[in-house]
Amino acid sequence: MSATARIAVAGLAASYGAGAPVLSGVTFAADAGQAVAVLGPNGGGKTTLFRALLGELATVAGTVAIDAATAYVPQTERSRLDFPVSALDVALMGAYARTSWFRRVPAADRALAHAALERVGMIERAHDRFGALSGGQRQRVLIARALVQDAGVLLLDEPFAGVDQISEDAIMGILDDLRAEGRVLLIATHDVDQARGWDRVLCLRGEQIAYGEPSTTLTNAVLEATYGAEIVMLDCGHRAVAIQHHDHAH
Amino acid sequence: MRTIFDKLALVRWLTDPLSAPFMQRALLAALLLSVAGGLLGVWIVLRRLAFFAHAVGSATFPGLVVAGPMGVAPPLAALAAGLGFAGLLSRLTRNGATSSDAATGLLLAGALALGSVLASDVYRSGVGVDRLLFGTLLGLGDGDLWLAAAVALAAAVATAALARTWLATGFDPAAARALGVRAARGDWLLLALLAASVVAVLPAVGALLVSTLLVIPAATARLLTGSLRTLLATSVALAATESVAGLLLSYHLDLPPGPAIAIVGGCGFALAALASAAPWRRTARAVA
Repeated sequence: MSATARIAVAGLAASYGAGAPVLSGVTFAADAGQAVAVLGPNGGGKTTLFRALLGELATVAGTVAIDAATAYVPQTERSRLDFPVSALDVALMGAYARTSWFRRVPAADRALAHAALERVGMIERAHDRFGALSGGQRQRVLIARALVQDAGVLLLDEPFAGVDQISEDAIMGILDDLRAEGRVLLIATHDVDQARGWDRVLCLRGEQIAYGEPSTTLTNAVLEATYGAEIVMLDCGHRAVAIQHHDHAH
Repeated sequence: MRTIFDKLALVRWLTDPLSAPFMQRALLAALLLSVAGGLLGVWIVLRRLAFFAHAVGSATFPGLVVAGPMGVAPPLAALAAGLGFAGLLSRLTRNGATSSDAATGLLLAGALALGSVLASDVYRSGVGVDRLLFGTLLGLGDGDLWLAAAVALAAAVATAALARTWLATGFDPAAARALGVRAARGDWLLLALLAASVVAVLPAVGALLVSTLLVIPAATARLLTGSLRTLLATSVALAATESVAGLLLSYHLDLPPGPAIAIVGGCGFALAALASAAPWRRTARAVA
């Protein structure tokens, strides 16, 4: 992992198959150590953006330049919790791409997986079944997996959804450490208030509504354009809270 | 003295059947198919393909019926029918209007109906139908044994080579791609092996009982163990034990072997379910 991870996206449009773009006009850049909150309603293009950045979707227009390995940290309920995999097994999945099909995962990568679990405070649960862990613990294991991938850019899909306060604090601490190491974090979230705490915000609603520092970007006009009727304004217009959604198919 | 005679009687009960060459072949076939079914069964159960596997088995029935009269090798005819089923299923579910399980049920019924009409009214196969539907381990040819050996070897090699791919893909398909796992290729290979293993178990357990070897042992093992390695080992061991026990019962009680193995497998599953629900196990889990 380098301290020079950087992501630059210009005029990006992405589509599923041959259909019309479901996301367009995305232009932003994030430097090493920056965390970008990605805000938007369900179907607004947050997951589409992640899939385009991972190279899974055809980019119809624009460019994506990422000069580091990119890891996706999914929501934990998306995985099969009844699967016979331990926390360590899940962390080791981060080394699968670089392991030949006829080889065992090498000792060096096993050591890396142990170290990653240690970093996220999950080493004592390494041999527990992944599905038996709490939502917050599972989230930490998935972050450990991204560390085993040696990712300079982490795409986190609602890392705080369904997580208790203690785990939220722990995850927040881990993400701060990752930023301090020069990694770039993109954090899809519905929590507008929390987004104010990150370095940048990217607002999406089928297209890019705004990008910039939270203090100047998260205006009422931008939030209304992002969320439309889904937004609820509180506290005389200074604070806004998005109505929470936990399922989003796109 | 009496106990020694009792023991000898038991030993004879176990060994006498094996003096017959047709039973030796049956035992060899059962063990080879247990390796294939036990290993692939784990992936079939983990990936929730049990109903699909059962349906592929049933779908081979019309292929088996026409194979004899048309002079086609039964495994080829079965494979063609199974692939035809998979193609139709994919077509029926393409636009999302029909769910996968409904379409599978529809095609399964259609295949059995077609096979039975072909057997009774077109080819008048008569007594052979039982054998096509429920198999017979006691009348296997060299070709059946070679096919069983090939599929057992393929299942072992594929499990060693693709376990990581199949595990990551089944665990979370979307994340697997982002991990650099070749999910689509792994899935195609799994489905191809499933089709090959269905064809290999057909002569032994028939079109209707493929789950006996491809689902029941793995589903039972799933109740007993939580890690992948022990799951694979337990599944193979259960498949082997159940098929040998079923074979012996079939010999002594004059039962058809396929259904006898299925019944032993069902009893094994019931015992495992009882054991895993026992109070002491629940306590142990809570502590763990």
